[in-house]
Amino acid sequence: MDRMTTSGSQTAERGRGFWMAFLLPLLAAQTLHPGGGLAPWVLVLFTAALALASPKVAAKLVPFACLACGGYGFYLAHYVQNWAMNPLIYGLVRVGTADNAGWLVPEALAFTAVGVWLLALTGAPGGRAVRRAFWQLRGSHDQPKTVPPLLLLAVIFLWEELFCSDLWFPLFSSSGQRTQVVALGILAIGVGMVVWRPQAAAVTAVAGTVLFGLVGVLWTLHWFTEANGPIGNGAIFYGAVPVHSFAPDTIAGLIPATQGSPALQVLAGAQGLALAAFGVMLVPRLVTWSGDLELANRARALTQRVTRLTETRSDATEVAVAELRRIERDLHDGAQARLVAVGMSLRAAEQLMRANPEAARVLVAEARETSSRALDDLRSLVRGIYPPVLADRGLGDAVRALALDAPLTVDTDITLDGKEPPMPVAAAVYFAIAEALTNAVRHSEADMVEIGIGYSDELLRATIADDGIGGADPSRGTGLLGVERRLATFDGIMAVTSPVGGPTIVVLEVPCALTHGTVWSGDHTWADVVRSSWQTRTLI
Amino acid sequence: MRVVIGEDLFLLRDGLVRLLDAHGFEVVAAVGSAPELLRALTELKPDVGIVDVRLPPTFTDDGLRVAIEARRACPGLPLLVLSQYVEQLYARELLADQAGGVGYLLKDRVFSDAAFADAVRDVAAGSTVLDPEVVSRLMTKRARSGPLAALTPREREVLSLMAQGRSNAAIAAKLFITEKAVSKHAAGIFANLGLTPSDDDNRRVLAVLAYLNS
Repeated sequence: MDRMTTSGSQTAERGRGFWMAFLLPLLAAQTLHPGGGLAPWVLVLFTAALALASPKVAAKLVPFACLACGGYGFYLAHYVQNWAMNPLIYGLVRVGTADNAGWLVPEALAFTAVGVWLLALTGAPGGRAVRRAFWQLRGSHDQPKTVPPLLLLAVIFLWEELFCSDLWFPLFSSSGQRTQVVALGILAIGVGMVVWRPQAAAVTAVAGTVLFGLVGVLWTLHWFTEANGPIGNGAIFYGAVPVHSFAPDTIAGLIPATQGSPALQVLAGAQGLALAAFGVMLVPRLVTWSGDLELANRARALTQRVTRLTETRSDATEVAVAELRRIERDLHDGAQARLVAVGMSLRAAEQLMRANPEAARVLVAEARETSSRALDDLRSLVRGIYPPVLADRGLGDAVRALALDAPLTVDTDITLDGKEPPMPVAAAVYFAIAEALTNAVRHSEADMVEIGIGYSDELLRATIADDGIGGADPSRGTGLLGVERRLATFDGIMAVTSPVGGPTIVVLEVPCALTHGTVWSGDHTWADVVRSSWQTRTLI
Repeated sequence: MRVVIGEDLFLLRDGLVRLLDAHGFEVVAAVGSAPELLRALTELKPDVGIVDVRLPPTFTDDGLRVAIEARRACPGLPLLVLSQYVEQLYARELLADQAGGVGYLLKDRVFSDAAFADAVRDVAAGSTVLDPEVVSRLMTKRARSGPLAALTPREREVLSLMAQGRSNAAIAAKLFITEKAVSKHAAGIFANLGLTPSDDDNRRVLAVLAYLNS
């Protein structure tokens, strides 16, 4: 059964990777263009072969290929504004002139967005950052809504697009190279801020978004009031809107419009408004800044702790109630029943005293015997609740007493230096050791058990090791499970290693603080304490 | 025979006084706390002391500590220690000085007053008397393997009674066999366990206990 499901899921995974992998040659095919020569064909064939040979690797490369395609699209969008180009197909658009170049940037943005989305989806490097940014924007139960610092990189890109038309052509002019260096430098600063000064990055991103949006809005208003002509030189893209180019008849994106046309202006204004609104929406989140990674981690840790405490608290109350029920039942069936019998025997004896003294004597003897049994019952009940030796002498001696009572050889190595853990912890550890010892006696066929108790780094550690046949399975025995739950109330843990045939070792660890034990620890003997408080009354 | 009693429960203390009076003992002191008891034992030097483990001021094991301390001050002072529960651990501590004259019994045993009085006399005489509870736990410890497993049930009974500190005569009476049979069993047991035989009851019980405890 298991084998089938495993191979089934493997097939599903392989299928998923399969179709993802074939996106790779498709993306590579974007580079095909007339006059491009052999290089693009080589790329396409290579990626196709890779997709066939190793779909997993190809699928991993797809997000980066998507991003590369997006970059290629931006490059084309600028190229076509400056130079003539042989018509080629990019995405769904056939471009060759500046006329149909308006589609290029939206398509490039689409490729970039898909690439970023795929990054977040798969486990690719950078994916985690993208995922985190998404959750920071959206908010989740342990991540309050905030401004993702990663937004800064998108904002830097938008501004650089607006100002540096030469950004994409470093090879063609020395000024272009300078521009590119500066642009890359600013991007690098942005990355540094995202990593080391996330709060500053978030603030800058929000400010940058709002300003970028305002630029568009203001420019649109200016254009409508002043009816100015085109501004600037070179191809200028405001976000996804080409607002200027060398060619006078640029078609912009979704709406057929030429440069200088009102439609284009409205588009630019709308984009600006949207971006400004988005930025303004983010501003309140800055006030309660919790993009700080440490704070988010702390919040997550607190949530986990609360969940755990709720679990163990309900466990603790369940355990306590079960204990009380057990005590009530034992008392009812044991000591109470016997005491009733004693009462009845004594009553019968009372009645027979004069008429049949011999029978009365027998009944009284019976009553005496029964009361002895009642005492036995109470003794064993008390032992199960809180053994007197644990209450009187503490954990160390209580475990030594356990060791002596066990039917096989038990060595103890207890180093507590006369200090004591708090009573509830001592009880939990004592019963844990008792349970482990009982298991060893009953199931392991061991000859010897070693019990060790020690304390270091604020952790009380107990080890119960036997040389028996092993094979203990904590999930099968409810005793050890109950012990584990009881220890969990104190944030304690239990680990069992029990390979078949080999020795069984049970280790418990409970965080606690030790305090000084009974008055008798230390150098002075109890007799000294006694003699100092001197009183006697004799009865002669 | 002069007796000192250390017991904080008034009813039980009173009951013990009455029981011992009835059996011919002279109760020279009946005290209800550990400091008083230690003083009474060391000053009055009775023939035997009866000590409850749980006494004020701490109500933990003060009585036991008084017993050990008193025997350190007066070695061999016969003491019979009573408790609501018996622990092998405490038995070991009491027997540690190997001086004899020690008893460790469950309080329940006072129900059989004649047997209890006998136990008091035995302890006063220097014997070691252990509650059958303690001994049976000692025996189950060794029952799994070793020479104990090789003993017959009868021999195990005899061994258990020897460990309780009973003399040959007492064992014979308890098991309804002759004293000679008892000595034969004893000899066989000692041979099996590799112990040196001894006529001294006290040494014998200590040897048996030492064996069972090892």
